[in-house]
Amino acid sequence: MTQHAGRHRHIIAVAVSVVLALVGAVVVYGATRTSEGPPQSPSGAERNQSPSVAAPPRGSDATSSPSGGLSAKSSDPGTVLKASPPVAIDIPSIGVRTNNFVNLGLASDGSLEVPTDFSSIGWYGAGPAPGQLGPAILAGHVDSHNGPAIFYRLGALRPGAKVIVSRKDRSKATFVVDRVQSFAKDRFPTALVYGSTTRAELRLITCGGSFDPKSGHYVNNTVAFAHLID
Amino acid sequence: MRTSHKLATLVLGSAAILPLLGAGTAFAADGNVSANLKPVALNGVNGSGTASVKVTGTTIAVTMAANGLLAGSPHAAHIHFGADARHECPIASDDANKDGHLNTTDGGPAYGPIVVSLTKTGDTSPKSALAVERFDTAQGGKISYERGSITVTQTVADAISSGKAVVVIHGVDYNKDGKYSGSVKSELAPTLPTEATDPALCGVLSAMPSGGVATGAGGAASGTSNDGMIALGGGLMLIAAGSGVYSVRRARARS
Repeated sequence: MTQHAGRHRHIIAVAVSVVLALVGAVVVYGATRTSEGPPQSPSGAERNQSPSVAAPPRGSDATSSPSGGLSAKSSDPGTVLKASPPVAIDIPSIGVRTNNFVNLGLASDGSLEVPTDFSSIGWYGAGPAPGQLGPAILAGHVDSHNGPAIFYRLGALRPGAKVIVSRKDRSKATFVVDRVQSFAKDRFPTALVYGSTTRAELRLITCGGSFDPKSGHYVNNTVAFAHLID
Repeated sequence: MRTSHKLATLVLGSAAILPLLGAGTAFAADGNVSANLKPVALNGVNGSGTASVKVTGTTIAVTMAANGLLAGSPHAAHIHFGADARHECPIASDDANKDGHLNTTDGGPAYGPIVVSLTKTGDTSPKSALAVERFDTAQGGKISYERGSITVTQTVADAISSGKAVVVIHGVDYNKDGKYSGSVKSELAPTLPTEATDPALCGVLSAMPSGGVATGAGGAASGTSNDGMIALGGGLMLIAAGSGVYSVRRARARS
């Protein structure tokens, strides 16, 4: 074998090594990058954000409830819209925008159904519509079997962010985020999320925390709480 | 490990609670239920609301908010339940006397009799059904109500937990004169116009969604499904290193 051929082969071998190393590095980089998982809401950090700072009562009817001892109270719920189902949503700060809506009911185990399509958002139609008095419930997947889904970035949503829901009656309901919290599914605060509210509010629900490969489920739910401003 | 820890907690927890319950005590059907309050058929109220009830044993806590009601007039509000009722809100065909409106009695077959009066103060039994001075007067057409520690019978508690009770807010203004008026008197209290007692908003108290929501499949989860890819990449890099070392050695041997 001539020296020339040997050097040639050497160059090829080095080139192959470099390519292999690069491909390997890219694969590892890609894998570790996606393995950061979906953004999480800062746990606890926002827990103290006062949850529902309702607009201060106007005028003199801000007096305390009549004849003491009662828990009955009256406050101004602010803006409220008529019933009309949601047809589209826009959350500019986390790049969520879709008109892919489905209706959700309850699953056989009593839990909230979830959309079968990972790019859809589901509305719990047995509850209020977004903009009506009370908590309107919207749920979407954080990821599919092979990548991010519609609410992948919900955990990155921050207080003050706007959520605009378009409704079938062509009106738009604009909400502002009050807080984003992560709850263990086995200690899910049912009444806090689904219970009656004195304003038109919105709940955006997806999964969070770590993924349990044994159960095939995330251990937490990320819930964004918002209220109607316009 | 975590599972076994949970299991241990569960077993220990049950062991701690069981003796307190005692033999023969039925498990109280505790629960969280809510109602989406909608306008009652035929009665023309343009409003809505929600009500939530937390049942703990035979004690209930009620939270309720509604809008679109006749402003500045008392609105009686109740929880209804009847074992032989349909456990739903009345529909147009429940208008027994065909007068074009549903009065409270017309709704009976749908929601049954009153079992709790949602008064702001004092008694909450059916006796206070029309205690107008103790109900919310809906300033601005809005009601915001919250009252805990209401005691009910076991039957009523069970009915509420099992989704068979109905919340009704009464008081309508058919003639739009801004007050309870009209010549038709209430079938419940002849001193009151029927506007004062006819049902305005109604909703069945049914179970809130329970537990967490299964909104993830794990495809973008941290550190689980990508282990294979990391191994593959690492393997490629190892081969690269190996072949690299080999060629360097060959080159050295040659020179």
